[in-house]
Amino acid sequence: MISESEVLELLASAFEEPVNELRADVTKDAIPGWDSMGALALMAAFDEKLGLELTAAEFRNMQKVGDILDFLQQRGALASSAG
Amino acid sequence: MSFTRTPGMRLAGVSTCVPAHVVDNNSCAAVYGETEVRKVVSMAGVQYRPVADPGVTATDLCFEAAEALLRELDWAPDTLDAVVLVTQSPDYFLPSSSCLIHKWLGLSEHCAAFDVGLGCSGYPYGLSLAGSMLLTGCRRILLLQGDTPTQFVNAEDHATTLLFSDAGSATALERQADAPDSFHALCTDGSGYRGLIVPGGGFRDRNPANPRDRELYMDGGAIFNFTVKRVPEIILSSLQFAGLDQNAIDYFIFHQSNRFIMKHIAKKCGLAAERVPLILDRFGNCGGTSVPLTLTQSVPAQRQNDLRLLCVGYGVGLSWGASVLGLDPKAALLHKTYSGEVTRQ
Repeated sequence: MISESEVLELLASAFEEPVNELRADVTKDAIPGWDSMGALALMAAFDEKLGLELTAAEFRNMQKVGDILDFLQQRGALASSAG
Repeated sequence: MSFTRTPGMRLAGVSTCVPAHVVDNNSCAAVYGETEVRKVVSMAGVQYRPVADPGVTATDLCFEAAEALLRELDWAPDTLDAVVLVTQSPDYFLPSSSCLIHKWLGLSEHCAAFDVGLGCSGYPYGLSLAGSMLLTGCRRILLLQGDTPTQFVNAEDHATTLLFSDAGSATALERQADAPDSFHALCTDGSGYRGLIVPGGGFRDRNPANPRDRELYMDGGAIFNFTVKRVPEIILSSLQFAGLDQNAIDYFIFHQSNRFIMKHIAKKCGLAAERVPLILDRFGNCGGTSVPLTLTQSVPAQRQNDLRLLCVGYGVGLSWGASVLGLDPKAALLHKTYSGEVTRQ
């Protein structure tokens, strides 16, 4: 399980984007590092930290940060936020 | 998974040959942008790439590697029973490029020559095939592997252009009763054939309407998914089949696909980094030839002890394979830069 803030940290590292720029509604067009290299970094991070396979096809269908959070939620990997 | 055990196959030597022309990826920033180049250099790990000049083919590179190796081993041409060339960059659709090598090396009419159309996984496949031939009567086999991927990448696709390089190799194998057993595992997932493909120019689409279809398409994400799932499996199952612990392996010789991916696989398998050599920074990804190239670059030419290697190739097909084999201190390891000046028969 991983918290939303930890996911955003992962995304920041994979996409080389400041973490404070990442919110659920930010689209991929606004993230320069959301590219093929960023995809590999994210896939590797999910595999290593969560044992979770994010396929290339799944990543291609994602349009915004929220889609990544939804993916983790559906896989039961996202811890529900407190409060 | 297809497992085979080959008793009595000795690796007598490995020779590799790369083009003299080397491209520094940093010099490509004006074309692809500094950020893209920086990412490829830092993530894929590719700084320099040997690139064949126009008109120089994988067959040429393999020929010079083979000529040097036969000379070093003092193997007379008429002692070879077979020359097997693993390539996806043949000189012609027909004849097989191995027939050109056969001529250039002055091999005998009793020597079989044929090509095997595999890429990144080709070295373990070639070793397995050669092992079977030695087991059933051949005495000496020259296994060649070479490719020139730089000649079929799309110049505007930085993900492949900045990654790929060219190289050729020759591996001398002979029957020797007391050689240690070698073990091979070979696998395929044809459902992923579109993950790495040059779709046009073959007989499915002889004259593609879109010239881009004569060049490589790579679905990097799909290849990553495949690699991180399949490569650790085949490493661990090969060790199990060979009855070995990973500490019994001196070098894990990986296909040099991408530094980031290779490190991820090594970590996932719990392999010590110092036993997984990386040569991408100086040689890029030259396809399956990167396995013998890593061998000549990373294993000392002068050695005192017997070594055990695990070679693993993976990629286009999708196809993957692994070989566990021994390397004795007398086995020759050579490397040269292509000259184009070696005499051909």
